[in-house]
Amino acid sequence: MAAIKELSKSLVQPFLAVVIGLLTGALVIAAVGESILGTYQEMWKGAFGSFYFFTSTLARATPIMLIALGLSLAFRAGVFNLGAEGQMVLGAVSAALVAIYLPAPGMIKIVAGIFAGMAVGGFWALLPGFMEARFRIPLLISTLLFNYIAVLFASYLVTEPFRDRSGSAALAQTVMLEKSAWLPKLFAGMSVHAGFLFAIVAALLLFWVLRFTPFGYEVKMLGQNSLFAQYGGINRIRVMLTGMFASGGLAGLAGTVEVMGAHYRFVDGALTVPGFAWTGLMAALLANSHPLGIIVTSILLAAFQTGAMGVERNTDVPLELASVIQAVLILFISAKFSYDWWKKRKAKGGESHGAL
Amino acid sequence: MELFDWSLLSSTIRMVTPILLAALGGALCARVGIFNVGLEGLVLVGAFSAIVGNHFTGNLFLAVLIAALVSIVFSLLFAYMTIRLRANEIVIGVAINFLALGLTTFALRAIFGVKGAFYDKDMAGLPTVEIPFIHDIPVIGGIISGHSPLVYFAFLVAILLYVFFYRTVTGFRVLAVGLNPVAARSLGLKVTGLQVLAIVMSGALCGIAGAQLSLGQVTMFTEGMTAGRGFIALVAMMMGQSHPLGILASSLLFGLMDALSIRLQGFSLPTQFTAMLPYVLTIAAMFFLKNKSQIGSDNQQSTR
Repeated sequence: MAAIKELSKSLVQPFLAVVIGLLTGALVIAAVGESILGTYQEMWKGAFGSFYFFTSTLARATPIMLIALGLSLAFRAGVFNLGAEGQMVLGAVSAALVAIYLPAPGMIKIVAGIFAGMAVGGFWALLPGFMEARFRIPLLISTLLFNYIAVLFASYLVTEPFRDRSGSAALAQTVMLEKSAWLPKLFAGMSVHAGFLFAIVAALLLFWVLRFTPFGYEVKMLGQNSLFAQYGGINRIRVMLTGMFASGGLAGLAGTVEVMGAHYRFVDGALTVPGFAWTGLMAALLANSHPLGIIVTSILLAAFQTGAMGVERNTDVPLELASVIQAVLILFISAKFSYDWWKKRKAKGGESHGAL
Repeated sequence: MELFDWSLLSSTIRMVTPILLAALGGALCARVGIFNVGLEGLVLVGAFSAIVGNHFTGNLFLAVLIAALVSIVFSLLFAYMTIRLRANEIVIGVAINFLALGLTTFALRAIFGVKGAFYDKDMAGLPTVEIPFIHDIPVIGGIISGHSPLVYFAFLVAILLYVFFYRTVTGFRVLAVGLNPVAARSLGLKVTGLQVLAIVMSGALCGIAGAQLSLGQVTMFTEGMTAGRGFIALVAMMMGQSHPLGILASSLLFGLMDALSIRLQGFSLPTQFTAMLPYVLTIAAMFFLKNKSQIGSDNQQSTR
């Protein structure tokens, strides 16, 4: 019961923010001289109008949700991980390469690919965590820098050694995974794939871990008052590193399921251009880092995006309607959210550096 | 075509300008303890406003001024949210980036009625300045002379900012706010006012950076034309340790790598590693210079 109460409490402000976001959206729609109601109707249709569109929204929500879950774990522990993009891309490219070149039957390829994607994403996140712990290099900055290195390295891998040179090789991409290594679609002909189930399971699992396990308790203590937590015998560095590994692993999984369930190959830029990492950050913030809330907020943000695609297809209103609404939403919600969070930080004093 | 020749340096100087200006703006924020992730959005807004200003006034000076003013308005939003409402600066920065992308696209549609890009062949870009005497020196003339005025402005700002930080009273105060806000406040410094001042100046610099992007290098606006330059500026700022001259050096490195990447494409060599180099160097630099780092250091949060 308490859990439900907490969940609904954490959803009230997002709801208000959504209303204000939509009002701002109405303003800009009016500015380009289109019908506001008509546009929002198209948006609704684009996101939920038919079963097909609904499943597309869920498919889009999948990587956002996984990334948001990973980030929320880091946030809860009081660590600001800005490196989800790099962790996702490196995870995705490793999963693709393992699934393509591992000589094994399809099922094993899938399992090995997922394992590789999560492990690589996790270790890539662990590295800045280690740099923070050992050399006190601010995590916030190193994770941001590691994104560029990861994205460029993955881009190199698919433009040079592992490039698909068969057929129209205009795009920098790997060859296609063989069919047996594809993640199954949940419904025939629809775009939502098994990755969505992984995301839901991950959300439930994270909820359980944070609420009912000693590790979850440690994370919570550390996030709320790190000095007290350390006084109580919690090893800050160990929890931080575990949190970063899990966070990166989930981001890696996000990239992996996109590769194995949607594109069936690693395409350079296919994961960075839609801005999954930043949207995931928003979803985590909107839900106040609550794992079950993230299920709702990431589907909501995905719906804005797929809805805006529908709007762009059928009206003259540009796709960026989604950016405007999302930005206003975040501006509105972050004022209070960060204020709470700030109070905790302040109480904690200036101990950890990257944990901004 | 040679891999290295003198025109490479000339294009480096051109490429570096928006990054340098934005990075200096970021450094101003960093020096008062604010990590401004919204540089990208501020530059984009500046680039768009410069084109709008040029279209309606036909005056390039006014266009640059309008770009700076509109970016200042956006930076005031950033200042209000982060300082007044105490929102997390990274979150607000990210939101500003999204907002800038969305609003410029909408305004492009609403004002010019076009989608994707606006280009007017009659629109004049920023003129190039041929510096007398220097222009006639064989090699150096080709490198230094013949850029838009904003290119020289950017280098001037780097030097002025150095003077501001280390030779003026207000500059010292700004540094004090960044170093220890509590102590600064107890000395009677107006911490909030200085922070807002720094953010506003940073907005102006980002707006001018945008104007160089849309009027100096090409004379057009395309959606999302900053293409990550704001983030590169952020990295250049970190690498330069928020020191104006350090930023000058790091921005030149980024510009050179940028120009080199374009050159390498002509040779069909992989460009990823040259593009990666500045980031690797920045991380390496953090191992050595970590103690001087302004951003992410303990004290920055302790005032607000």
